[in-house]
Amino acid sequence: MVFSELEPTIETSKGRDFLSDEDLLRRVAERDQSAMAEIFDRYGRLVYSIALRVLKDTAAAEDVMQEIFFRLWQDPTRRGSDRGTLAAWLAVVARNRAVDGLRRRKPTDPVDEVPLAAKGDLAEEVVQRGLMEKLQRQMEKLPAEQHRPIDMAFFEGLTHNEIAERTGLPLGTIKTRIRSGLLSLREAVGL
Amino acid sequence: MNHSLHIPMDDLALYAIGDLAAEDRGRIAEHLAGCEQCRAEVASFGGDWALVGMSTPEVALPAGARERFLSRVEADAGRAGVVQNQTESLQVAKGPVLVAGGRAPRKPVISWSGWAIAAALLLVAAGLGAQLVETHRRMHELDAKLKQTEEESKRAALVMELMTASQAQHAHLAPAAASRTPSARAVYLASRGALLLDAENLSPVDAGKTYELWILPADGSAPIPAGLFRPDAAGSAHLLLPEIPAGVRAKALGVTIEQAKGATSPTLPIVLAGALDAPGE
Repeated sequence: MVFSELEPTIETSKGRDFLSDEDLLRRVAERDQSAMAEIFDRYGRLVYSIALRVLKDTAAAEDVMQEIFFRLWQDPTRRGSDRGTLAAWLAVVARNRAVDGLRRRKPTDPVDEVPLAAKGDLAEEVVQRGLMEKLQRQMEKLPAEQHRPIDMAFFEGLTHNEIAERTGLPLGTIKTRIRSGLLSLREAVGL
Repeated sequence: MNHSLHIPMDDLALYAIGDLAAEDRGRIAEHLAGCEQCRAEVASFGGDWALVGMSTPEVALPAGARERFLSRVEADAGRAGVVQNQTESLQVAKGPVLVAGGRAPRKPVISWSGWAIAAALLLVAAGLGAQLVETHRRMHELDAKLKQTEEESKRAALVMELMTASQAQHAHLAPAAASRTPSARAVYLASRGALLLDAENLSPVDAGKTYELWILPADGSAPIPAGLFRPDAAGSAHLLLPEIPAGVRAKALGVTIEQAKGATSPTLPIVLAGALDAPGE
């Protein structure tokens, strides 16, 4: 039996075979449009929602979303093997591209090149929406002193210098609160 | 590089989301190149930021967004020559289609004149799409050429810097053993991780073997592989700007013969060795 035959398909509550993200990406590499449509259906709203939250403009957010998925269609290998799960990678790319638009900066900063640790099979959980709801709850539970700078950094695209200026807090305090908040979120989710 | 001095966790968390000045990013990237522990931390923080993104409450897509995307994909696939749908369309035009399950295909409800108009519109759309793709393709080509030129320019500038920097170190590499014909000269600029090696009179090596250059760090840590090279028929070989970490203070260089894919630690004997002079001498 060849290795690919051992790769599982997942039976969903809908009763149909559920291809993993990696399977879909392999099919996209073979120019399978239905596989690309499936990826879009899984993560389109995630990418759009993040872009919208950053840009606060529906047309601009859709532009970001369309471009991200179209580039993925054109080159499904651009997400390197060390870029974590597809959902995680898309979430970070959506934020970065949206912030690029917000700051009108050249989309060449190699932020997307930062590796992402694969934390469990986020893709499957995200599809089931369970993890996302859990994350929302945990973010709300974070102390405001941690939650706020993380929000400002991720969704408002502010640097820690800008956050320090706005809050009047020392740079070191901002850095520490961001890092502590991230660690709290990581622990709370149990990944 | 001294790996005992890791990057502060606070900075790694910010680095993972690109929130650092270019200067700091460069410094951290340099450290990460040689520090697996910090690389793992960055990856973890990158994953954490992704979790933050995924905590966003989802909103519905704008009306028609899915269709707009799929149309774009379909147009691109068609232009790329993957025309599965077009093939199916052709089958419709030619005659009956065999449908899985034995159901007869539904009779077309649009008249032939309707199909002709639709086909004409499709041809116009395909023509416009093809022009768009060609423009995109040319833009990508120009972009790639520009990047290549920039890269070559950077390398040329670094070579110039390497050859003229007052801090560059020089070494003359001679046979470690008695015989002496082969030799090499090297220039090394630790701060930039730049190195040039020019060897001559090297003995040929077997097909499955290669010469490998090593940097011997001044702090006594393990030799760092600094590039593979094979001599030409005259025994000459050159190594220009191999990929090596920047900031490694070195005391000497050495050359060994290794398996063709290179080694992670040198295999004795050392066929050429030479001490680096002090920077600026």
